[in-house]
Amino acid sequence: MIRTLIRLLPIQTVSILLFSLQITGAQQTIKNPLAPIEPSSIASLPQETYRSVVRIEVATQVPNYLEPWKAGRFSGGIGTGFLIGPNLFLTNAHVVSNARRLLITMHGSARKHPAKILHIAHDCDLALLEVDDFTPFIGLRHFEIGGVPKLESQVRVIGYPVGGNRISVTRGVVSRIDFNTYSHSRSDQHLVVQIDAAINPGNSGGPVLQNGKVVGVAFQGLRTADNTGYMIPTPVVRRFLTDIKDGRYDKYVDLGISDFPMFNPAMQKKFGLTPTSPGVLVAAVTPDGPCDGVLQKDDILTAINNNAVDAAGNILIDGEKVNMNEIVERKFSGDQVTLSVIRDGETMDVICTLKPFPPSQMYAVQYDVKPRYTTFAGLVFQPLDRNLYSAHNLTNTRVRRLFSHYLDEAIFKEREDIVILTRILSDPINTHLNGHIGTAIESINGTAVSSLRHAHKLLHPEQLPEFFVIRCEGIERPIIIPGDKAASASKRTQNSYGITSPANLD
Amino acid sequence: MNPKHSMPAFLFALLFVLSSCCDEESCHTKNSTKPTDPSIINVESSESSEIRQSLVRINSTIQVWSASQPWDKSAPKKRRALGALLTGNRVLTTAEMAADTTYIELENADNTRIIPAKVVAIDYEANLALLEPDNGDTESFFEDLKPLSLGSAAKIGDRVDVWQLEDNGMPIVTEAVIQSVDIVSSFAKGHFFLTYEAKGSMQSASNSFTVPVIRNGRLLGLLSSYDSKDQIVDIIAPEIIQAFIADTSDDNYVGFPSLGIGISSTVDPNFRDWLKLSDDLGGLYVTKIRKDSAAQKAGLEKGDVIININGRAIGRRGYYTDEQYGRLYWSHLIRGSLKQGDTVDLTILRSGEQKEITATLTRPEEPLIARYTYDQAPVYLIKGGLIFQELTATYLKAFGKDWQTKAPLNLLDIMMTPEDYEEGRNKIVFLSAVIPTPATTGYERLRNFIINKVNGKTIADISSLIEAFEQPGADQLHTIEFAEGPPRTIYLDANMANTIDTELLKRGIPALSKE
Repeated sequence: MIRTLIRLLPIQTVSILLFSLQITGAQQTIKNPLAPIEPSSIASLPQETYRSVVRIEVATQVPNYLEPWKAGRFSGGIGTGFLIGPNLFLTNAHVVSNARRLLITMHGSARKHPAKILHIAHDCDLALLEVDDFTPFIGLRHFEIGGVPKLESQVRVIGYPVGGNRISVTRGVVSRIDFNTYSHSRSDQHLVVQIDAAINPGNSGGPVLQNGKVVGVAFQGLRTADNTGYMIPTPVVRRFLTDIKDGRYDKYVDLGISDFPMFNPAMQKKFGLTPTSPGVLVAAVTPDGPCDGVLQKDDILTAINNNAVDAAGNILIDGEKVNMNEIVERKFSGDQVTLSVIRDGETMDVICTLKPFPPSQMYAVQYDVKPRYTTFAGLVFQPLDRNLYSAHNLTNTRVRRLFSHYLDEAIFKEREDIVILTRILSDPINTHLNGHIGTAIESINGTAVSSLRHAHKLLHPEQLPEFFVIRCEGIERPIIIPGDKAASASKRTQNSYGITSPANLD
Repeated sequence: MNPKHSMPAFLFALLFVLSSCCDEESCHTKNSTKPTDPSIINVESSESSEIRQSLVRINSTIQVWSASQPWDKSAPKKRRALGALLTGNRVLTTAEMAADTTYIELENADNTRIIPAKVVAIDYEANLALLEPDNGDTESFFEDLKPLSLGSAAKIGDRVDVWQLEDNGMPIVTEAVIQSVDIVSSFAKGHFFLTYEAKGSMQSASNSFTVPVIRNGRLLGLLSSYDSKDQIVDIIAPEIIQAFIADTSDDNYVGFPSLGIGISSTVDPNFRDWLKLSDDLGGLYVTKIRKDSAAQKAGLEKGDVIININGRAIGRRGYYTDEQYGRLYWSHLIRGSLKQGDTVDLTILRSGEQKEITATLTRPEEPLIARYTYDQAPVYLIKGGLIFQELTATYLKAFGKDWQTKAPLNLLDIMMTPEDYEEGRNKIVFLSAVIPTPATTGYERLRNFIINKVNGKTIADISSLIEAFEQPGADQLHTIEFAEGPPRTIYLDANMANTIDTELLKRGIPALSKE
């Protein structure tokens, strides 16, 4: 969410593990499996329940952001899913991301059923699958989605984790309910329930049950701590299922504001508040975001939809103090929220119509898309996004600054893409360039570059200039490519570096 | 002025510190061993006494300031070196030995006499320092000592002697052969000066941190680093030492001049075609002109190509042919050959046309962000628990080896493009940390925010910040505006802050500000 993004990026290190079991190459076989847990040993769950928890085998093709013209890495993995309706299997988005083939196996059966993705939501790490032929699954129990489990209550996790091929069941206690980062997209924060049951690779997408109902979907863990597993709680699941009812997933919406706690006595005095007054300071409003023109910097936000907001930006829901964004979390694109504010000492209500904010995708890891790029005389240009940022070692201060201020300084208004020179494929035409790799392209032949498509167009003009003059941000010395030699150099580098397609602009 | 030599020079310095720098303890445990290397010569007794008479041991105690708690100094470190005795009871050593020193003393070769010393002049860029006695019995300390005279330039292939002293006072002389001459940055990063690189196998001995190098009985230079793996000795060249000593003749030490430009090579044929540089020319492309520098005053512009400096043709990578040393980097023509006030004639190519420009050399103005802060306490102000500092490169480098990626992005950006921030500022004032106090409740996690205004007044430096805090608003609140947010503005209760400041002094913070 935008709110947390600004503070966390770009040096945030995520130590959260996703729990789908990655298998590269041949299918993993374990010769001496540990004694499998007999399903009958857990009295309260009938054998039938297990049959609705399926094993998902995924073959993936992971795009290569270092050499974007390449096919990418073929690999695969194992995850878990469960039946929640007629031909509706719920699992994690990260289990089926970049999938090329999906096979679903029922507990106790050897048959592999081809499946495909119905809906995928990368921002909350959920996906719905369907099998090509549902007949064998008819009559199986459909899991019912329950509520948020209480702290200290017991839950059980069912799935197909490492250590054997058959189903595994573990028990644990709900140890924390909190807002936390969803590491699949790395840029989203939603409600998360922490449990002390062992969740292991392969468990991802499996149901977490309490009293026979689903209370969460197992999805990630902490690398640095033992016995901490995280599940996606049912409010997030329900929101996903509601969002897709119109046949399309519209993503989460956000207020697009930064808040600052109203703890300081001088701050309170300045705004005419007392230490017990409700209200948090609106410290910044994202340009073009849902609250642009609705809220102003230095407003005191006192309530959202009549839920009082405290000085730290929290509200009370079901007896629990949670972040005020929890209200917005449960809303959809086009919904309205009423914000009560104090502006210049006056109390007023303003209405914000929630909407998705596409520029924020800069910070979300992208899946199931081919990397965009263009090449020119051995120079490789790619648009800056989270994938690029993770793949390349981008240390240039200007690039890092453009990345972290892309939203709050409204850079997106002028630059749909920040185009980066990511690589120079050595060729006689470019061997003497250095220091330019990893910088942002400012202009080509005097025209400011606004997107990758724009850069591509400028590099392939109808009329050849005498020289292509490419300026990189923060570097005074431009890249010069003679106009009459550019095309042959492009052809030469494509041949020698095996670039079958010189550009992918979509 | 950033030739590619910076990395090796940096490594050399490190290696030397690791291999032969020693603190007091370890030095005393080392016994004199019989030298086996043929280049280490057993010294005849008459020459031996001469060496002992011209070398002075230097013991210094070094303390640097803390970046996070700018009122504190770090734990003291000791460093021992050998200095060369010059006329007038002055001792020449490297700046590295004299920078950030809390205490320096001189000691004779036999360890029989000690006298406290002070720094007469120090040049962090050229890595040179001149010491003299400070109170004490100067006369008897120098009684039987014999000053060295300064030598003249050497050539590649010349043999030189590196002088060291054993613990017991016996001299060790290592012969070395000058293999190459280059310009190297040996102490303050990014400042490159003429340096001889000589091959010789040195042993570590006490006070070996920096030692004199002798040729024909005269002082040729000072050893600035020794790479034990390649057995290469870096020697600060006599021209640089002479210029330094000449500058110390009056009380006003000026320092080495500079042109104030950044450059890029013109090797790339496409780039040359675009610049309309013909093949018979070399040329350096000007990428940066420092504000108020000699280059700016002379009318040099970004994008100009320098093809000739004082009659010397400058090659595509920036080298010219020097009569004495052969190919040398162009910056020696400015920094190593001229002094402040001298003029330099430049032939440049601008938009394909040749032009002549004459620049009068100056010392660079104090930059927005000080590149080095040796012997300078951090400039700071504490207000109610908020700690403000003036930004320096030293602060950024305190983020560790990877400071260029670890230090805060907004502060790094100023370092890279200071011209974007110069308007209305002498220095960058920023909130470096917050001490939790009743006045700073809720602000604990704020740090590394650049200050724009306080109480409506633009902040140019710490002095203007101190002044601005003297006039809180009518509501007795201070208003602090940051350059970026969130939050963009915070407030501080003026009366509460004053009470807390008094309290902080009682709790051991020595001073609330340092200007």
